Amino acid sequence: MCQSAMQRLLLTAAVLLLSGCAMQPVQPWEKGDLAKPAMSFSVDTLDDHFTQHIYNSKENASGGYGVGGGGCGCN
Amino acid sequence: MRATPYKLPLRRWTQSLVALCCVLVLPLAFALEAGQPAPDFTLAGADGKPLQLAGLRGKLVYLDFWASWCAPCRLSFPWMNAMQEKYGPGGLVVLGVNVDQRRPDADRFLAQVPAKFTIAYDPQGTAPKLYAIKGMPSSVLIDPQGRVLLVHAGFRDEERDELEARIRAALPLRAN
Amino acid sequence: MPTSNDKRDKTGEGRNAAASLLSAALALPGLAAGLAATTAIPAHAESAPEQGSVDLKYLYYRDYQPGAERMRVSAPSFHVLMPLEGNYALEGSFVLDSISGASPLYHNTLSGASGLGVNDLRKAGDLKLTRYFERAAVGVGFAYSTEHDYVSRAFNLDVRIASENNNTTLAFGVGHASDDIDSVNFVARGRSKRTTDMLAGITQVLTAQDIVQSNLTYSVGRGYYDDPYKAIDVRPDYRDQLAWLTRWNHYVSSLDATLRLSARYYRDTFGIRAITLGTEWVQQVGSWTVTPSLRYTTQSAADFYYGPPFPVGFVPGQSYSADQRLSAFGALTPGIKLGKLFADGWRVDFKAEYYEQRSNWHSLIGGGNSGTDLLPLKAQFYQVGLGKNF
Repeated sequence: MCQSAMQRLLLTAAVLLLSGCAMQPVQPWEKGDLAKPAMSFSVDTLDDHFTQHIYNSKENASGGYGVGGGGCGCN
Repeated sequence: MRATPYKLPLRRWTQSLVALCCVLVLPLAFALEAGQPAPDFTLAGADGKPLQLAGLRGKLVYLDFWASWCAPCRLSFPWMNAMQEKYGPGGLVVLGVNVDQRRPDADRFLAQVPAKFTIAYDPQGTAPKLYAIKGMPSSVLIDPQGRVLLVHAGFRDEERDELEARIRAALPLRAN
Repeated sequence: MPTSNDKRDKTGEGRNAAASLLSAALALPGLAAGLAATTAIPAHAESAPEQGSVDLKYLYYRDYQPGAERMRVSAPSFHVLMPLEGNYALEGSFVLDSISGASPLYHNTLSGASGLGVNDLRKAGDLKLTRYFERAAVGVGFAYSTEHDYVSRAFNLDVRIASENNNTTLAFGVGHASDDIDSVNFVARGRSKRTTDMLAGITQVLTAQDIVQSNLTYSVGRGYYDDPYKAIDVRPDYRDQLAWLTRWNHYVSSLDATLRLSARYYRDTFGIRAITLGTEWVQQVGSWTVTPSLRYTTQSAADFYYGPPFPVGFVPGQSYSADQRLSAFGALTPGIKLGKLFADGWRVDFKAEYYEQRSNWHSLIGGGNSGTDLLPLKAQFYQVGLGKNF
């Protein structure tokens, strides 16, 4: 019973996501706020490079941001 | 909740959900075709007075949808100013419909990039919805009989000449 | 170009290309300036940048432990983005890292104390060329980095495809890095490491104020992973890494501010799991931007990490490391960034962050450290930047 409810929930979520209409799609003329620099996922390239480089040399985890960045002897 | 398998009802439910989504999305996907009558609208003009598209019958209308946050819009303004100046006597009206939700944003843009053509304000986005535009900026060339001649999106330097040629070819008064 | 113009007309024969126009169309202007890091996947793929930009940044880093200074890094860096004819954009960056100080020989025992200081200059550069199509973009990049004992060459290819309404963007990427190691102490001569990365990601506009991005990266690495400068350090000759990063940006109209959230799950074949959470509040104040931020990360220890006393746990022929970076810990980074944008396109920014890493801040179930806790590691990062859009 519980499993069936869970399956239903998951399926609904998947259908909503896949059909891309979980909500009314945002129209082109409504994208003023999304156009703000702070809403971008890459605001400051050099900042991102530096921060990721530092964490890469002091921590073990990395990845998720992109592919094929140059390595270094720091880790 | 019953423990019986939901297979069939679930599938039916899913199908109806997908259908509903399609119904919601499809009308927005219909783009305007050349030759169709241009949907009419009435918006507030720069002076606050209502401005109706149908009132421009007899003129060639270059309808442009713009926003303060749209970078190519910034490039298109000087060009639209030039078009208005050059072809105004030939019967062209450039109508720039601003779709900013906040009026001060539009005012700030206009202070930086002055417009020497007609401006109307559409914070609700009713006009772009009627024309089902798919990007910013978008422009629509409307002939003197109120029919759509051309739907164009984006603004790039290399497209200026082509757009100007289309305008020139459709002018109601061939003064020059 | 007549062909592209024909395509852009929605009359008669050009009809099915109607949607085509929209490439420039979604033109989200602010994004142009901050477009992709060489390795990052930008949010909106479908439009070429309208503006070019040049950025200079000076970065300074220092870390220390109770009673001991460790490393100092100062790094001037440079970044340029140029839109080119025909829907191309070229992007490049260069950084000069100068590192000095002492690195731990094992646990917290500094090599500098035994006379082996660290002094190195790292030069790293990358170039990326992106071609924009209707609702798609393809980028190829190359990165090169060299130190006196280490050379890395990497290339990457990424493809981004946007849905017709530009609300969904899928990203796929593949990258390969080839690293050569020649340690100055002759422990590692002519050793190498090869890494292949893959990425699949989705960016979705949820509402007019919400955008979310989720990326999955998988990296397969083979080669030399030991640290040749540590007293005893023997690691497996392979490491596969999985990272799942989800970011959510929300614009708060009433305050003219943006809330940026990120969460990353990580695991690898060293046996390390990690969770990293980040939050930033980007507050617009006139032409100024004030961004306080907080990051927390926690990781479990590698299967072959052994805590103090050194070298308990070492068995010849088996993997063994006393590297702090492979231990279980938690770390917090509070920070603040100030930026100002001038009307003529000039930008200045300043950022200060404080970092503290402690063994007892680790919060993952299982995977704790053997042995006793390490001394806390503290660091400060500073950045001063100057840039211009044009």
